Formats: sequence, structure tokens, C-alpha cells
Amino acid sequence: MWARVVEVMLGCWLGLSPFIFRHTAEEKGFWVNDLLCGFAVVTLALASFWHPLRHARIAIAAIALWLILFGFLTAPPAPPASQNHILTGLLLLMFAIIPNEANLPPRAWRTYLIEKENL
Amino acid sequence: MTKSEDMQSAPNLNAAAPPFDYNPSAWSQRIPLAVLAGVAFVISAYMALYQWRLIAEVWDPIFGQGTHQVLDSDVSEQMRSWLRIPDAALGAVAYLGDAIYALVGTTRRWQYRPWMVLLFGLDVIPLGIVSAILVVIQGTVIGAWCFLCLVTALISLILVYWAYDEVWATLKYLWRVWQKTKDWRTLWRVFWGGAAREADEVALMQKGAA
Repeated sequence: MWARVVEVMLGCWLGLSPFIFRHTAEEKGFWVNDLLCGFAVVTLALASFWHPLRHARIAIAAIALWLILFGFLTAPPAPPASQNHILTGLLLLMFAIIPNEANLPPRAWRTYLIEKENL
Repeated sequence: MTKSEDMQSAPNLNAAAPPFDYNPSAWSQRIPLAVLAGVAFVISAYMALYQWRLIAEVWDPIFGQGTHQVLDSDVSEQMRSWLRIPDAALGAVAYLGDAIYALVGTTRRWQYRPWMVLLFGLDVIPLGIVSAILVVIQGTVIGAWCFLCLVTALISLILVYWAYDEVWATLKYLWRVWQKTKDWRTLWRVFWGGAAREADEVALMQKGAA
């Protein structure tokens, strides 16, 4: 589950981004985007620890794609805040691909191997 | 998961992967790769900091101002207007991906998570070759050389050399699954980490042993 922990940290970074990149009061889109995406990423990453919601990382990958797209919506040269969206999106995408139980064989193989053992 | 269940479900995670007589997914193979990719990540991030002007200077013991000329070149500026981020920052993300994906999965991931190995291979091999070519092109087109860029290009090529055996073992395994089953659905399931008796049977089979 270590990838989910990294996602929580990246979500916190997104939540802090409006203050780090100093969005102005007029940049409402940036404020809403960063705070909402940050909150959603942290929530989804934590939700993955609950078995019924173990696939929540797929939604994180979707948010990551949105962040990359959102960063590209501003015309070049991109302001630091947009570059932050693209880079955080790329990092989130990288981690969202990693399965929850990456340090074990996949569930299907574990089940198969236990059944084989018991034959 | 209990301890005994865990042990049952992890039989011989260090089996050699045909066609090799060693295990290309072993930690002794993957950790050095992750460390070297980590070095390239740090170098790229350092150059990105200069391109963002968060630092004023870049260290270059051989070409002096060459590094500045390359990092501030028209080619680099053009890349930046397409990518929105400095090219070195994208390189840093790619090297970080190499390092992270080198560490994901068990020491038998060539069999149990083929998709992960191939994703890792896609990140390391084509991207590594392309970035090495790009660095050399930058040097010849711009007419200036950048010491740290050359170091990362060299690291890219070493990473390609270190990663290829695991990717090759995985492709060979998927090929044996296809030869055995001739069934796209089984191959698809095995590729994404699903279990299949046929796949388990052919996993450790050396060529000619059948």
C-alpha cells in the first residue's frame, strides 16, 4: 500500500499548492481545482485501504489525467501553477498505476498457488 | 493473510526465468538499476531547477558555458513551449518512473505481473534510447555540449542494458503461454496478472525441454 501513502502526500501537496504558488483571488479556477483535487486524492487514497473500495486508485489515475490536461489548457509559457499541475499529475499517474499489494503476487495467483498446494 | 498462507502462496520466488539461468527479477538485478535511475533523476531535477531559474548556475567541469547554452537553447525553449514544463523536468519524471517501477512487484513479477515488467521496459528502453539520441542531437545541432546531459544519456543506455533481460524473459514467457494455449483470452488474462494452469506449467520451461 506504499503507493497509496505517496498519493496521500501528493494530495496534501496539491492542497497546499494555492498557498505555495500564491494564486490570486481572481484565479478562482486554480483555487477550486487544487483544493478539490487535493481533497479527492487524499480521500481516495485512504479509501483504498478499505477492501470494498480497493480499486479507488483508478479514480486517482483519472484525476491525474485531468490535472495534466488542465495544465495544458493555459497557453505557453505556462505559469508555475500550471507546471505544478502537469508535474503533480504525471507523478500521481505514475503511482496510481501501482497495485495495492505490489509486494505480493496478484490475488489470482495467490489463490491458484494455495489451491495447487492443497490438491 | 496469515504467515503460513503467505509462505504457501510464495513458492520459489527466486526461480530462474528462461531463457536465462538466473532470475532477472531478483533484487540484486533491480536495486542497482533503481539506484542508478535515482542518480539520473537527481541530475535531471538539478538541471530543471536551473531551467526554472530557481538556481543561477549549473556545474560543468568540462564544457564550461556549454551546459548553459544547451539548457537555454532554442531547441530546449521549443520543447518547453510544447511540453509546458522544462525538458529536464520531464526527464526527471521519466527517471523517477524507471526507479519506482524497478522496485514494484515480487522477484517473480516476470510471471505474475507481466504488464508491470513491460510498462517498466517501455519506460526504460524506448524512452532511454530516444533521450540518449536527443542529447547527442542537441550537442551536434546546437554546437555545444553539456557534461551532465551526457552523463544522463550514458546512464540511460546502461539502464537499457540492465533492464532488457527481464523484459525479454517476460516476452518469452508470454510467447510460451500463447504457444501452449493459442487462446487470446488466456494470454490477455495472464498479461494482466491473472492465473492460469497452462501459464504456470510453461513458466519455468526451458527451450527444447518440452
